[in-house]
Amino acid sequence: MTQTKAIIADDEEQLRIHLKSQLSDLWPELIICGEAENGKEALELIENYRPDVAFLDIKMPGLSGMEVAKRIARICRVVFITAYDKYAVEAFDNEAIDYLLKPVTLDRLKKAVKRLQRQIAASSKPPSDLSEIVERAIASLYKKGTSGYLRWIRAQHGDGVRLIPVDDVYYFQASDKYTLVLTKEEELLIKKAIKELDDELDPSQFWRIHRGTIVNAHCITQVSRSLTGRGVVKLKDRPELLTVSRRYIHTFRQM
Amino acid sequence: MENGLENITRRHVFRSLSYTVLFSTVIALVLTGIKFGGGFVDNFIISQCIGISICSLALTGLYLFKPANPLFVLVLVMIAIITGTVVGWTLGSIALGLSISLFEQRFIPVMILGIMFGSIISFFFSYRERISGAEALIQEERIKRLANEKEMAETSLRLLQAQIEPHFLFNTLSNILSLLDTDLERGKSMLADFIHYLRTALPKTRGKATTIGQEMEMIHAYLNIFKVRMGDRLRYRLDIPEGMKDLPFPPMLLQPLVENAIRHGLEPKIGGGELVIRGHNKRDVTRLEVCDTGSGLNEHDSSGIGLSNIRERLQSLYGNKGRLILEENRPSGLKATIEVPHDTD
Repeated sequence: MTQTKAIIADDEEQLRIHLKSQLSDLWPELIICGEAENGKEALELIENYRPDVAFLDIKMPGLSGMEVAKRIARICRVVFITAYDKYAVEAFDNEAIDYLLKPVTLDRLKKAVKRLQRQIAASSKPPSDLSEIVERAIASLYKKGTSGYLRWIRAQHGDGVRLIPVDDVYYFQASDKYTLVLTKEEELLIKKAIKELDDELDPSQFWRIHRGTIVNAHCITQVSRSLTGRGVVKLKDRPELLTVSRRYIHTFRQM
Repeated sequence: MENGLENITRRHVFRSLSYTVLFSTVIALVLTGIKFGGGFVDNFIISQCIGISICSLALTGLYLFKPANPLFVLVLVMIAIITGTVVGWTLGSIALGLSISLFEQRFIPVMILGIMFGSIISFFFSYRERISGAEALIQEERIKRLANEKEMAETSLRLLQAQIEPHFLFNTLSNILSLLDTDLERGKSMLADFIHYLRTALPKTRGKATTIGQEMEMIHAYLNIFKVRMGDRLRYRLDIPEGMKDLPFPPMLLQPLVENAIRHGLEPKIGGGELVIRGHNKRDVTRLEVCDTGSGLNEHDSSGIGLSNIRERLQSLYGNKGRLILEENRPSGLKATIEVPHDTD
């Protein structure tokens, strides 16, 4: 029987040392041919050494363990190590992939080792549908993360750049080539045009009410109609009234 | 704003006119009843013309001038009543084919009736307006209070939930577990740091009031834990003037910023980086900065509940005097600044 090779990837050195020593107790024949402290290094190690098993931490700088797994699906078997990832754990509830929860106990590691040994003895090839499972796991992980909409406004302020969460913005007002960003107590000027903002902001929260105005719907307290048929929007904590032009009045009619 | 005249809406106009038509009809009936004028049809038409003229003129006047002073409103309405009576009577007479001469004797009682009924109806309108205004105010207050209560409940709930991040908890325990095998002394000191951190982080074991010095000790313990975990990838410096350490400061207000700097700034960056906490004591504000040289913020990153939590707490503790400012750090990373007023408890 040829010798079994493995790599360990975890950004925390102490945890690599520990896993290595646990493995040497449980599986003395296993050769650890490399350790990586980020995803990129892990990928290089796997390509160079072609190990049978890769122990991959999920949360690593650069490339995550999952992204590494996706790229090396047909090369080796993967055991994920994770501190806490409800979504990932759900996604891995599948025979094809094993996962270890931190802190890794000796008993649990023993089971994983037995399983690996059995799989390696039975067939020399790793399961080929792995990439699809990992793909699904990554998708479910990203679902809870970024929405793709603009969440922060970068605004030049003094000689620095301020970052304002969009939730704090009451409304945006076009002003020549610039856009005025108004929060509860501040007014800042940004270079982004109102049209760009309209495309990037979450339309369920930010409503275009005029050619030059986008308002945060969460800050509206009252909408009324003036004698001339235009809408008038009142905001909380700010005195001014905003005008809704005829073109955008339909936003409020749907309500 | 208080008198509500700024918001004359279509519904408003429609309602006023309907009431006017109704009142004018009643007036015509009463006048016919006491055998005034030339029969019901004549009385009805003249009365409607006068009523609608007064109402239109009054609304137009209020809309155009938006008077804030009650005296001005009174003058405006009186002018509307007199002009409206003249205009309405003229229109009504034309409609009925009667001769129009203001000097006719017939006109004097019409003028008196117009002023009398006009005043009564105007008083009725202003009374109604005041009542509905007051009701709207009460309603608004109630909504404000409910929203406030809801916000407070949500904040405290989130505070309870967001105390200890599971990743942090389990990763730290893994490290301690592994150090027990390899480096017992370091394991012990990491455990001691972890206990120190937990005492402040868990709401039940934490004191109500803390000082900047105590907060810094806790953050120091927190950073020590990360130093073990991240090794050379984390460098940090706490730069707090001695005199600031005894100042009171709310517990767990600064820690989420340190946590953010590590979790979103330094940990995801391959080479890691540096974290600096600086204190400035100005004449009337205490300022604490958390700067990291990590991967910075992407415009599409979620804003996270951590920061809005800090903002809400600052708002409830210091009103508009407490601030959280986020800036880009140079050359990379993020700089978060908390400012609180000096002499408020």
